[in-house]
Amino acid sequence: MDNHTRPVKIAALGMEQRTYSTLQLFFHEHCKDSYVLVEENSADISIIDMDGFQAHRMLEEHKKHYPNQPSILISLSHDKAYDAVYIRKPIMLEALSSALLKAKERLQQPVAKVPAPEVPTVGIAPQLQIVASNPETVTPLLLNNVVHNPHKIARQEKPASKHFNQYRYSANFLTEDADLEHINTKLAENFNPDNPIQIAKFQYQPEQTLQGYFQQAYFTALQKQQNVLLKGVWRPITILHESKQLRVEKNFRHLYALSGMLFDKSNVSITVLDNNVDCEPGLHETVLPAEPFLWKLAMRTSRGRVPANTNFTAPIKLIRWPNFTRTIITPHALRIAALWARQPTSLMDTASYLAVPLQHVFMFYTAAVSLNFVAPVITEENHSTTALPPVKRHRYRKIFQNLLERLRNN
Amino acid sequence: MTNYKIIFTGPVGAGKTTAISSICDRPPVSTDKIASDMTRAVKKTTTVACDYGTVRLNGGDCLHLYGTPGQERFDFMWDILVSGGIGLVLLLDNTRPNPFQDMDFFLDQFQDFINQTQIAIGVTQMDRKSAPCIDDYHNHLSKQGLTIPIFDVDARKRQDVSLLIKALLFSLDPGLIENND
Repeated sequence: MDNHTRPVKIAALGMEQRTYSTLQLFFHEHCKDSYVLVEENSADISIIDMDGFQAHRMLEEHKKHYPNQPSILISLSHDKAYDAVYIRKPIMLEALSSALLKAKERLQQPVAKVPAPEVPTVGIAPQLQIVASNPETVTPLLLNNVVHNPHKIARQEKPASKHFNQYRYSANFLTEDADLEHINTKLAENFNPDNPIQIAKFQYQPEQTLQGYFQQAYFTALQKQQNVLLKGVWRPITILHESKQLRVEKNFRHLYALSGMLFDKSNVSITVLDNNVDCEPGLHETVLPAEPFLWKLAMRTSRGRVPANTNFTAPIKLIRWPNFTRTIITPHALRIAALWARQPTSLMDTASYLAVPLQHVFMFYTAAVSLNFVAPVITEENHSTTALPPVKRHRYRKIFQNLLERLRNN
Repeated sequence: MTNYKIIFTGPVGAGKTTAISSICDRPPVSTDKIASDMTRAVKKTTTVACDYGTVRLNGGDCLHLYGTPGQERFDFMWDILVSGGIGLVLLLDNTRPNPFQDMDFFLDQFQDFINQTQIAIGVTQMDRKSAPCIDDYHNHLSKQGLTIPIFDVDARKRQDVSLLIKALLFSLDPGLIENND
């Protein structure tokens, strides 16, 4: 291949639209168009996100169809099971550049030719985590150049196959008001709360994420009854204690894309402001209600996991109902809230009693606990799982069921 | 055919008639009269007997939605209205001088019925007056040891009213299955 005559063609697989566009901009601005994103069947190199739900299946398919195509695999894990160039998340610019060079070297090595099939395969897109110890290093790549309307861009592209449609749908759900029901709930089907490996898989540390810092700033504002300024995670965010709102730049939706990033606490500051400081929104700013913002942020950050140190067997009680008319209703949220209001129930028992996927319970719990709407009831007895006395079936259940169906149809 | 009923209550102007209209099959039968007293300052007509609407269900069953008159002097109707009811929807007007006092009044008046069934609370007019906020309502209720679904509601929106009813139904029986999950 002659690098001077044509750019290296890259297929980005299993990635959501925002990540795809970020790569596109990276190739254009940082690599001076020496790489270009193309469809899988015309690519020289593929970059695959291995943290997606069907990533391994997608990779197997890809290898079957394009055995000689060098691959760059990006993942949170250290696992290196495939013959490929690996980048561990968080993705740093240097690591990505270096991996591209390595893949190019592989491309130039002679290989046996295997005919490629006609129909390419693209899997479900997971959310790519681009994490930086110093947020400044990712700002030019992630924040200034993100897609403003992923739906619009998706419509402009021609789908290459039915799989591509699936990918576009997935991209939409991850970048706009997410229908998080599509989180792969099968992952937690055989979850065992006594297995430390499984526990680690379904827990995350919110402290150094945007969620953690925002949460800290929000509750500081409420506790001190003063406005608070949060800096270092994006543009400055002011939390207005009295109205329980936040003042932020109008393009605040970019913040949700940062939910998976870790921020070094040395770069983040939370400053309590004098109440006389003018907090009127500027021309390019807007004011949002803080609770739905944090609720959504926690949902995005957790992706079906719970904060570290969550007790899976302690009964959870509902302290207050979320304002469901103004927040995203996670799957089964009303049922879970009603159960916990009536009878504190552990995460495991809730899933079992309501016959709902455990990850839906996790999702609701994580969002609710971020706002202190729920809390575990810790007693000496409930350190182990106890038998749950069933909530009595209402004598009018059938009619209620009918009414629910009717309301749904309306 | 079996008949069931949900009661909508709350102070005058809270949106009971509107809420019932937003979800029932046909425009509800309303016994609104031209207000001739202090109520007139809030709205031109007020309900003196009750609002009534129906929702037809599969299998021939029928859900009746009753709205209580907003004026306290008609409270003799309430016992009759709640008899045989499956739950209570309380609507509060956030622009009134003391919505907590309203809430306490209605919780007290319907205490027996609530103890036997469940309640969901919708706060209306929050777009016109944002304080007290939903959190303040919860804080007020928590002092009484109550955990009740309270939502910011636009009574004109079917979706908001529908959500209130869903919260009421799940509070009555969390084991219900939501088919759209």
